[in-house]
Amino acid sequence: MARDRTPTARRDYPGRWPRYLALPRRPAHAVLAVAVGAGLIVYAWFDGAAVPFSLGAFLGVVIPGAVLGLIAVGRPPERVPPPEELDLTGMSYWVICLALFFEWEASAWRDSSWPWHPSFTNLLAPLLVPHLVKSVAILVWLVAGWALVRR
Amino acid sequence: MPPIPTRAITIIGFLTVVAAMFVLEFLARRPGSRIPTVGQWLGYLMRPKIGRVLILLGWWWLGWHYFAR
Repeated sequence: MARDRTPTARRDYPGRWPRYLALPRRPAHAVLAVAVGAGLIVYAWFDGAAVPFSLGAFLGVVIPGAVLGLIAVGRPPERVPPPEELDLTGMSYWVICLALFFEWEASAWRDSSWPWHPSFTNLLAPLLVPHLVKSVAILVWLVAGWALVRR
Repeated sequence: MPPIPTRAITIIGFLTVVAAMFVLEFLARRPGSRIPTVGQWLGYLMRPKIGRVLILLGWWWLGWHYFAR
């Protein structure tokens, strides 16, 4: 098992930018962090109000994807060093859970027997109808995207 | 006892698996745990560029699937 968190070479600072130009993990100013957080909340609130299958709803997910993609490619932030290797036994628990989840989901999709065997989406979609819930979910999605870019 | 409807069985199945993932994440965050956290195994998968691209695409697809449709 290796849990070495020591930054190593260029892998931790990918892209064309030298190490000293890589974005720090934390914003330089607390004010900036608050402004970014507030902006994300406002964005999630307005995106949560978009009508499904509308252009606004589509752009609401395309814009964050494009922005994060550009950041990931053009000027990635300082990344959290990944582990050199994973413990096989420890990882196997995750693999079992993920396999069970996707098997359960695949069986729902194959049977196509809503409402008797609903898929995860069938169950989650009604919960996302309230504006507040959908906005919070979008905010979590945005933060998760940023966390992935830092990985 | 009346039979449990298949819908309830399906929901219980999903809840069980999702709860198990939360338990795993909790256990992984204990000091000295051999179980990797979600962040650690995702970071490991994202070491090669193709893994990074696929994971980010998966993240974007989730957003499109749940919020744009």
